[in-house]
Formats: sequence, structure tokens, C-alpha cells
Amino acid sequence: MEQAMIRPQAETRYRKELEALAAADEGNRKPQGWKLSPKAVRDFILGRKKPLKYEGREITIGKKYLGNDALVERCIITLTGSRGLMLVGEPGTAKTLLSELLTAAISGVSTNTIQGTAGTTEDMIKYGWNYALLLAQGPSRQALVPAPLYVGMERGILTRFEEITRTPAEIQDSLISVMSDKVLSVPELGEEGFLFAKPGFNVIGTANTRDRGVNEMSSALKRRFNFETVRPVKDVRLEKEIILREASAMAKNAGVDMPPDTGAAELLASTFHELREGVSSMGHRIEKPSAVMSTAEAVSVYYQTMMGAYYYGEGTISIRSLAANLTGALGQEPGEDLEKVRGYFSTVVRDKAEKEGGLWKEYYQARTALK
Amino acid sequence: MEGILPGANGPEMIPYDLTASCVYFPVRHHSPICSFHLLRTLEAYQPDCVLVEGPETANELIPLLSHPDAKPPLALYCALRDETGRLGEKDELYRCYYPFLDCSPELTALRWAQEHGTEARFMDLPYSGILLASKAGQGLRRPDERRAYQDEGYFSHGEFLEKLCEKTGLRSFDEFWEKYFEVNGLSMATADFVSLMHTYCLLARENTRDLQSDGCLAREAHMARRISEACGKFQRVLVVTGGFHSWGLLHPVEIEQPDPFPEGAEQIYPMVYTMEAADALNGYASGMQSPGFYCRVWEKMRGEDPGEAYAQTVLDLIAACGRRLRHNGEALSVADETCALDMARGLSGLRGKAQPGLYELRDGVTTAFIKGEETAATSGPMQVLRKLTTGDEVGVLPDSALVPPLVSDFQLQCKRLGLNLNSAQRQQSILNIFSSPKHREVSRFFHRTVFLDSNFAQLVKGPDLASQRDRSLIRETWAWRWDGSVMAALVDQSVSGGTVREACGLLLERQMLEATLTGDGAGLLVQGFLMGLEDASGKLHSHLRALAASDGDFFSLAKACGHLNTLLEMGRLYRQEDTYDYTGLLDQCFGKVLSLLPSMAAIKDGQLSDCLSLISRLYQLSARKEFANRRAGLLDALESLLNEPDLHPGLHGGALGLLYGADPSWQAAIETACGGYLRGSREQMMRSAAFLRGLFSTARDLVLVSEQFLPSLDHLFARLEEPDFLALLPELRLAFRSFTPAEAARIARRAAALHGVSPEVLRRPPAEHYAYGETLDAWAAARL
Repeated sequence: MEQAMIRPQAETRYRKELEALAAADEGNRKPQGWKLSPKAVRDFILGRKKPLKYEGREITIGKKYLGNDALVERCIITLTGSRGLMLVGEPGTAKTLLSELLTAAISGVSTNTIQGTAGTTEDMIKYGWNYALLLAQGPSRQALVPAPLYVGMERGILTRFEEITRTPAEIQDSLISVMSDKVLSVPELGEEGFLFAKPGFNVIGTANTRDRGVNEMSSALKRRFNFETVRPVKDVRLEKEIILREASAMAKNAGVDMPPDTGAAELLASTFHELREGVSSMGHRIEKPSAVMSTAEAVSVYYQTMMGAYYYGEGTISIRSLAANLTGALGQEPGEDLEKVRGYFSTVVRDKAEKEGGLWKEYYQARTALK
Repeated sequence: MEGILPGANGPEMIPYDLTASCVYFPVRHHSPICSFHLLRTLEAYQPDCVLVEGPETANELIPLLSHPDAKPPLALYCALRDETGRLGEKDELYRCYYPFLDCSPELTALRWAQEHGTEARFMDLPYSGILLASKAGQGLRRPDERRAYQDEGYFSHGEFLEKLCEKTGLRSFDEFWEKYFEVNGLSMATADFVSLMHTYCLLARENTRDLQSDGCLAREAHMARRISEACGKFQRVLVVTGGFHSWGLLHPVEIEQPDPFPEGAEQIYPMVYTMEAADALNGYASGMQSPGFYCRVWEKMRGEDPGEAYAQTVLDLIAACGRRLRHNGEALSVADETCALDMARGLSGLRGKAQPGLYELRDGVTTAFIKGEETAATSGPMQVLRKLTTGDEVGVLPDSALVPPLVSDFQLQCKRLGLNLNSAQRQQSILNIFSSPKHREVSRFFHRTVFLDSNFAQLVKGPDLASQRDRSLIRETWAWRWDGSVMAALVDQSVSGGTVREACGLLLERQMLEATLTGDGAGLLVQGFLMGLEDASGKLHSHLRALAASDGDFFSLAKACGHLNTLLEMGRLYRQEDTYDYTGLLDQCFGKVLSLLPSMAAIKDGQLSDCLSLISRLYQLSARKEFANRRAGLLDALESLLNEPDLHPGLHGGALGLLYGADPSWQAAIETACGGYLRGSREQMMRSAAFLRGLFSTARDLVLVSEQFLPSLDHLFARLEEPDFLALLPELRLAFRSFTPAEAARIARRAAALHGVSPEVLRRPPAEHYAYGETLDAWAAARL
């Protein structure tokens, strides 16, 4: 029996889609070590117009990454080459999602991941030792504990390196020789201590631009990567779609049966979009909060409101609690940011309430919940 | 394209039959693939007449455009002055450009005809006809700075096209066009390509509602008439138009044409153009983006391996971009270039394109050349690529080109004065206008081009006589650049005269006749002076005299006095003496100013500075021997000003200062007035600073030279209560600004001596003040 998971990995969530794509991918050229061809990888991430027939059923390949299609295409082509892929951008711009989708489609596994932190050491990246075995038998392949980079090279799959710039620069630089020569040396194993990367191996890194300057990447390492800047979603309509889709998926996983509220999602998408851009759709100039007003934050506010309504409310989203939950998105400077959000309500929301009425009016009345 | 174009297709509706007596070839402006297939069609069909979409009034210019010595980018410049206001405002100037690039199919057709001795003609309505057929605000009557003749709004915009892009997963119409037409079109047979074009254009046409308001139907009806005439005369007629019109040419709708404009109202000239101006990315050109890229592609298409034109161009540009970046000091390796090329090739495969194009080139450079986050700081590679794909060529017209006499005179003058017009780069000239007659001549020429509003030259630094600034400078620094817009501006002005000098003279006269204030009129004289123009007919002079006689504005007249005085003073220095009779005019203005002066007593605070400098200038003027007889009148006027009840304190001080200058016995009156303000009511006391400001601006020597004035002023200040003095202090600082720092220090020393304080004390604050300041700093820092 399949065990319940809070959030299954992409290869699990979209298993049928991946299988259907692989079945239909016969005639297409595949880079060595790839499970799917570049075209099928693109279809997996950006969706396909026509459903695929697989095992007698029609499998629809939905669009999973909403944003810049050309960027996704560039990412795929980068991974066919010898350079790594580095996704940089503001927090909450779906860098990790994109990296997960790419690895799931290309290697069939997205869990071969290094999570970069200030405490990340070289053995968490390359390999460590099982000390009991090491003491008993001396250095041997059995005593070696492979870390994600080793696994990636050995199996010919992608290695993800999340938040690379949070890792100290000297630890980051341990990637340089592996990225250029595609060989990892394990001196302890003597003459047999060389691991040559199998085709299909590459590295996808992500770096948060808010961490810029914490552990700047060396130019030598930068040269081993192609950079792609992931920007926040520019289209409010698209942002609304993402909020609805992601929150519904989270609710479904949590066993919460509640219909999505498109009106609330639209309010939230507009609020986040306008606060992030500093200008409203009616032309008001507003102060931007210092907090990251990312789409991921909007999803979280929406989901939180949904949960509140499901467990404590009447099963439908209340606009008042939506407004109240907005304060949760204001991270670093809650005091100052709260004033900015209040300012947004007393100008933009007020004028929209006057002009459009309906939900906006309700939203404006809920401003007292901003505490 | 399957699925996008259901139903009837192009060839069924618009045949492409090379055995027919007339063939319609659809094009997109500046498209190399259209040029490519057009050339094949021309060779295969061997027409004896080529008809091209373009104003038929430009037919005489065809030999120039297709001349072997002509080098694109070139443009036809159409201009119409609506003298009677038929289209809107009376005398409004309408204009538009019709650019031709090396890769433009229209130019390809004209060049082929020229090479083969085939008849080639433009067949569209004249520019004025299109304007008459368009509704206000539509088509070529849209309010737009750089209207392009070739409007391809139908072709590349609209809901239908948005859906098409969405469905094909492409970012824009241009990307769609490049993929399905430009790149894939290279491997198509010409008949298939034409059929695809017709099908696409028919769909675009079907989804366009209004074809009348911008004159489209009227133009098509006119072109259809011309085609039918040509078919009667020739055996094989090839019609080259925007693909959108093909259907309209076969099925014209008769539209009643209004009476044309009289002959001569419309002007049309060939002109050199720049790639930058032709780039649709710059927002003021229609047609394809990045002309530099597509012109390179066109060059490759005519080379040995046309099938690889795009791939080779992308490779060339990646290498060129890398080279330029390395030249700019950026660390870019050959591996980066290889990576960019791999990316472009890989993307073209993924996107179903036979070869990488402009969009894959941009994507490749973005990914491989930008290291780190894409921000303004890392945008260097994209900027370099943008320049390369736009191109920096400037067109060349053959020597025999018909240009307005004004333009040829301009070019002749530039050549004579050594100004190189063969570059589109901004250039700089530093002119020693007083020591070198040649430089003064260049300066005159530059001033003339500025007056003609040609946007050719700008004075960066140098004496500015018009605003009376920097008069002590002895050099002029000019920045100048030659491009299509300069030529267009000159063509616009060509109605004013055949030479630059003549046009400036006529314009100057016209502006003088329109001037209503003497100050403005005298300003025009200054401009004429800088341009080195004489008033041969005396018109300027007599009009200015008439203006001065009727002018009752003190400031305008005083300004005129300033300008005329400048001309008198500067005549010799600028080698421009005795051009006008300035003295008589100045005397006339002087007289009028004097009569108006007493009425200026109650000026506003904002007018004080102007007024003070004007009366000072009048005073200086009266020191010249030509105007010595005006001195007494001026002093009388100043005295009567003093008697005015609401006299502004600043003007009061200024007038008293000038009277003191003429007669030191006024010092007592000054001291009395000073005391009056300082000892008066609080309101009057606060006005004392303005009084001193006026006084110091006209009689600085009173403080610096007179032994008695400073002690008496000090005495008056000493009597003020401390809070009052502190309230007055900011204004007083302003008043003492009339003195240089050295003078202010001298005054301070004398004032200190009056109180028995040694001058050393004033030099710097005592050391303990610094120490106290540091303690305060530390205290504040500890608490922050």
C-alpha cells in the first residue's frame, strides 16, 4: 500500500504523464542518459495541447510551470551540454519547482538533492564514510557513503544543489573540478579512486538573489554554469491560476475537500502583484513592502485562509480572514510593512471598491482585520 | 501550420501563375525571405513591367534609389503643408518616411528592373491623396512623430494574431514570422512560399474590420486602376505590394476621391537614413525588428550557401559580440561563444526551426554570456548584441540625387568647413571664435543650423549671448551629428530658401514680424548677429523700432536694452561691426524704460533680481559716451522712484546705491534709510535685509571703501534685540552674498575690529569648540 505523503515528489505526482511521454517519445532523439527527449521534457513542463494515449487511456499533459516558456527551453538545452544550470531569482519564483520538474523528467528522479546551508560541508556534497566499516575494513567502496554529487555521477542522473550561495565559497568551489573534468577523485581508494561521471550527469543549482553577497560565487565556478534569471510572474491572470492550482493541490493532499474560490484568488493575486510592482492597475503609486511578495507567499496566504475556513469556519473562504492572513506574509519588517499594506487598502482597495464594488467592497471593509 | 489555417487556401483565391499576364507578389517590408523569393520570381517570370507599392509622385526618384552608387538605408521623405486647413489646422505640416533597406523586397524589385532595363513604377496614391482618403487620427494621419508609409498594423497586430502566437507557443508575431516564413521559407519552393503568404494575409484581412478609415480601400482602388492600365500596355506585369493588399487589388472597392491638393503642395525627396531609425524596436518604424541582423541574412542569402544563411549569420554575430565584449574588457572565453552557439542550435531544434534565428541568437547570448543575475549591471552583452543586430550603417545617395537646394548647400558648407558627414557618430568641435576667422565662420554655420531647428549641432559650452551667461568664455564647444532626421528637418525648411544663409534670413524676418515684445525682437537680433546675417533690407530694424514704440512692458524693454548693449559691446570681438544701427535703437528703448521706471516701485519679490540687474545695466549703459546724455534722466527717474509710497525695499536699496555711485553725498540718505528700516516696526525691521541686498548689489564699494558706513551699520545692528537679530540673520546672509568670499572676510575683520576682537579669532573656531563637538558626537552615537 502506498504510504500517504504531505507532498509527493514530481516523479510520483506525475508518474502517469511521464510514462505516457516516454511511450510516445520513441522516435525522438535523446541525449545520452536522459529518460526523455528534450521535446518531451518541454512538453512535460509546459504542457501539450493534445492528450496522449497510454494504456488505453487519454493522459493530459498539463502546464506545470507558468511563466517564461523560452526560459524553460533554454534550461533544457543547457542541460544537454557540459555546463551546469544555475537558476537565480527572488525567493518564491518557482526556481525549486522548475529544478524539480527538470530532474524528474530528465533523470526520472528529483530527490538527488544537496540543500545548501551555512553548515554544508564537502562530505555532504561528494561522499562521506561509514566509520564502523572504515575502521573494520579500511577504505573501500563499501565503506564509502555517497553524497548526491557522487550519486549523480555514478548513476548518470542530475544532481540538484539548492540555495548554493548559502554554502561557504570554499565548499562551493569543490564543484569546480567535477564540473569541468566530470571526474571525482577519492584519494583514499588509491588507484581505483576515480569516479568518471556517466552520461546524463549534470548539476542544477538555485540561488536566491536576496542572499546576494552572503557567499558570492567565484568567477571560476560561475564559468561552469549557464545562468537563468527567474522573474516573478508578470501577469495577474497567471498568478491567480497558480494560486488556485497550487492551493487546491495542497488541499487535496491534506484531504481537505473544499471548492476553490476564484474571487478570493483574484483579490490576492492583484494585491500581491500591485504591492510587488509598486503601482496599481488604476495607476496609484504605492510603497513596496520590504517583504518578498512572491507568488509562493500568496499561495500560502490563500491556503492558510482555506484551512481556517475548513476547520473553524463555514467551509467557504471569508474575505475578512483573507485580509487578516495577509499580515503573515510580511516577514522582516512587519511593523513598517503593515503600514504599507494599510496604505494600499486606504488608497487602491478603497478606489477599486468604489469603482468595481462586489468583492473589492468587502475586501475594503475587511481592512480593520489588518493587525 | 496545420490546424491554424482551415478552409480555403491562398492559391485557390489568389493564383500564382507565371504564364499569366499579371502576377501578384506579396511581401512583408524589409523581409529578406520575401526578397529572396521575389528575386526568383523576377528571374522566372521576366516581367516587362514591375509595379511597386509606393507613392506615384516618387516615380522620378526610382533611378536614384536603384542607382548602383546608392547605398541603403535610404528613405523617401514625403511632406505636405496644408495651407488651407483641409485636413485640420491651417498650415500644419504632415510628413512621413518610406525607408528602404538592402533587404527590402521593394528595393530588390526596383534594382532588378534597373539592371534589366525593365519599366518600374510606383503605383500608389500620392501622399496627399492618402491623407485625404484617411480619417483624422487614422493611418498616416495618426499623431506620431515618425510616421512610416508602410503601415503593417494589419499584418502584425490584432486579436487573431495574438491567438496565433498563443497557439503556436511563440512569444510574439515577429518570432512567429521568423519561424514559419523567414527560416522555414528558405527551404520552400517559391510557389509554396507565395501560397503561404497569400493564405496568411487572407486570414489577417478576414480578421480586420475597418479598411476604410485609414484610406486602405481608396489606395487599393487606385493601385488596381494603375495595374489595369499597365496590363493594357505590357505583356507581363509583376505587382509587388504588402501581402495584405493582394486580395483588395483583385477585388477593388470604388471609393469617391476628394479633389487633390494643388500641385506643388506636396514634396517628396530621397534622403539618407540610418539603421537605428529603421529598427522597429525603437518604436518609430514599422516592419521588422533588428534590420542589421536581417540585412546580414540577406547578404548570406545572396552568397554561396543561401540555405545556411541564418545559421551563418548567428555564428557571425556571436563571434562579433564576443569580440566586442572582450574589447570592452569583459572576460569572455571562446567556450562561452561555443556554448552560445550550441544553445542557439539546440533551441532551434527544440522549437522546430530548420536553423537558429534572431530569437535563438538572443537566447544563446542571454544564457551563455551573462554571468549571474540578469540586471542592468550585467546587461552589457545584450546591449552589444542589440547594437549589432540593429546595425549602424548610414545610407549614401548617388551624387546625381535630387535634393532640395537647401540640403545641397548644407552639404556643400559642411564640406567647405571640413565637417565630415560620412559618420553617424556624434562629433565635437572646439572653436576659438575670437582668434580664428575660420572658427568664427564654423560657429556662424552651427548657429544657423540651430536656428533652422535641424537638430544637427548643439552648443555644449561657450558664451551664451542670448541669456547673457558665460560671456567671458572665449571658446565654443559644439557637439554635432549628421543623420536622416537632420536631412528631414532641412527638407522641411527648404521652402524658406535655397541656401542655409537665405533660409535663416527669411526665417529671422518672419519671426521678427511675429514678435510682439521688444525684448524678443532684440533677442532675434542677437541670433542674427551670431549667425552673421546682415539686415540688408532694414526690415528687422524698422520692425523693432515700431515694436519699441508701442511696447509698454518695462521688463521687455529693459531686456531689449540688455541685448542691444551686448551687440554694441561684442561687435568688434565677433568681427561683426556696423551691421545694424544699434545705438539709435538702444537710445529709443532707454528713453522708454526711463519713463516707465517710477511705475515699477511695487514689484514682487520674485522680480527683484531681474529688476536690480536691469537698472544696474542701464546705469552702466549711461556711462558709455553715446548715452552720457541719458545719465541725468536715469538719476531723475531713480529719484522719483524713491518717492513712490509702496517702493519695494530691495529696489529702494538698489536705487539708492546707484544714486550714491553717481554722487557720494547720497550716503547720508542711505544711512537714514538703513536706520529707518532697522529701527522701525518689527515688520519694517525684517525688510531691512532686502534693502541691504538691493543696496549691496549696486553699491558694494559703499561698504568696502567708505570709512563711515560700516561703523554706522554696525551701530544699528548692535541696537537690535538678540532674538530679532537671529530672526534677521538668514536674510542678512543672503544680502552679503553680493560680496566675494575675500571681500566678506575683509568686512568681517573690520566689523570684528570695531568690537575689539582680533582677526585671528575669526579664522577658525577655537579648539575647544571642536572638542565639545566631538564629545557631543560620541554622546549621540552611544545612544543611537
